[in-house]
Amino acid sequence: MAETQEAPPVIRARNLSKSFGKFHALKGVNFDIPLGRIVGVIGANGAGKTTLLNAVLGLSSYKGELSVLGLNPARQRGALMKDICFISDIATLPKWMTVKEVLEFVQSVHPRFSHEKALTFLARTKVPMARKIRALSKGMIVQLHLAIVMSIDAKLLVLDEPTLGLDIIFRKQFYQSLMEEYFDESRTIIITTHQVGEIEHILTDVMFIKDGEIFLEANMDTLTQQFTEVMVTPGKEQEALALGPISKGTTFGKTTCVYKNKDRETLAKLGETRRLGLADIFVATMTGDEQ
Amino acid sequence: MRTFSALVKREALDGKNGYFYVPLILTGITLALVILSTLGLGNTFYLGNMENEGIHSLADAMNMAAEEDPQEMPAGMTLLYWMTTGLSWIAFPFVIFFSLLGALYEERRDRSILFWKSMPVSDWQEVLAKFFTPLIIAPLAFLGIVIAAQITIALYFSVLMLVQGGPAAALWPLGLMISSWFSFLVHYLLWMLWALPLLAWLLFVSSFAARMPFLWAILVPVVLVVVEGMFFNSNQIGSWIGLHMGAWQDGAYMSANYDIDGPRDILKVVMGGIQWQGLTYTLANLHFWFGLLVTGGFIAGAIHMRKRAV
Repeated sequence: MAETQEAPPVIRARNLSKSFGKFHALKGVNFDIPLGRIVGVIGANGAGKTTLLNAVLGLSSYKGELSVLGLNPARQRGALMKDICFISDIATLPKWMTVKEVLEFVQSVHPRFSHEKALTFLARTKVPMARKIRALSKGMIVQLHLAIVMSIDAKLLVLDEPTLGLDIIFRKQFYQSLMEEYFDESRTIIITTHQVGEIEHILTDVMFIKDGEIFLEANMDTLTQQFTEVMVTPGKEQEALALGPISKGTTFGKTTCVYKNKDRETLAKLGETRRLGLADIFVATMTGDEQ
Repeated sequence: MRTFSALVKREALDGKNGYFYVPLILTGITLALVILSTLGLGNTFYLGNMENEGIHSLADAMNMAAEEDPQEMPAGMTLLYWMTTGLSWIAFPFVIFFSLLGALYEERRDRSILFWKSMPVSDWQEVLAKFFTPLIIAPLAFLGIVIAAQITIALYFSVLMLVQGGPAAALWPLGLMISSWFSFLVHYLLWMLWALPLLAWLLFVSSFAARMPFLWAILVPVVLVVVEGMFFNSNQIGSWIGLHMGAWQDGAYMSANYDIDGPRDILKVVMGGIQWQGLTYTLANLHFWFGLLVTGGFIAGAIHMRKRAV
């Protein structure tokens, strides 16, 4: 995300802070998110992910500069929502409404919503139009919410733990539809989730958050190339340690070391190498000594 | 405008139990009671010396009333229809009270606020829709159902008269009935305008109460009144609340002529231009305008709270 582009960034934050009493949930973060990216915001519970997203969505006040699609989210949420969609955890659809009523409501307040598109998406599911949302299963509620969101021609989609509590099949389908039928160069998606493994293949960029600070912002390709895990061949442990792994552990009685920015060929001589998954990179950088 | 009507429609849907089903059920009970009582008139009801006067059915009673005082008949029937449908209105204040109290509270409790906030609708639009829907939709729905009930009762009575041989035409003082419906609306409007600060208080409570909005809504004014009484030995707050709840009518209708002798006089007092007198009194009253100011404050507070609510 460091490279400059001609188009203005979708989100631009400078010295963005938010405190709840004495607790500093966001400590003056700076970042730009350009158009056409899928950014994963990864962090432990309470790291500040939701605080950050709430500021972007105009759901809370904040200090510092923040511009989303050129608007000030704290003051212009109404206008901003024409171009932004978000799902903040599941089960926020009004339970007392029927599926049909929800669609009609969105149709009458949202200028960028296509009722037909939503009906097409829903036709593929088993969501019954006449039923109240209260009576739908968790999976159906998410399918409905996703159908609504995908039928809105928005520029920015924010997903905060969108698949929490769903079974693996629904989670897979969720991201699959998102990629195949929604995402294109003209849109930007921001996702937070704890199921990092399920989204890493769709992300273009990641942002690691810890204690209210962004401590890593990187392009996915660059990031995954930086980290290598070596399952050290017995007898070469001294050599392996000498290269300065950022973390080490033991698997099946063998020592495993994680290296950052080390030549892959050198590492290959120590033992079996593999790329680290995003979750492992997150853990390694969080716990290991930064280099 | 399209957005606003969608919001009002949503609120009406959300509150349809209170706005539609409650008056429907009460009106159904009313109709059942009316039918039961007419069937039993002369048998189950034994009023005064009915039998001595030869009243064995509703038709007998009607014939006698029409004979005795033909000029009072239209006003009498209009009042009768209003009285028989009076039961339907019992729930009305409660419906308004709880609609406003839940308006901004329920959406936070069931988290649907996050969905509403993902729509391009600003907080002030949401708050205003939630304020005015109960105040406009509820009375119209109640009145509509009551009108239907009054017509049904008139129809039922007419059939009875035809069967029992009574004055069916006298059962339809349509002109009076229609103007009584309109005059009800004007009275309601006046009542609502005065009650606005209290109604806005309920909405404000629903915008901030983390739980138990009912207790907040009731306890805060009660505590204020008690504290004021203890420390200042006065009752400004209490009488202010009373004024807006209905005591304003004392001033507004002070000069009204209450020389009532029969149904015609009652209708004359209620419908005979008194509401216009009330309106001019209201518009010229400082207390009223101060109340509007307070209303604005509570609404602004509710909008402010809605902006920060997640």
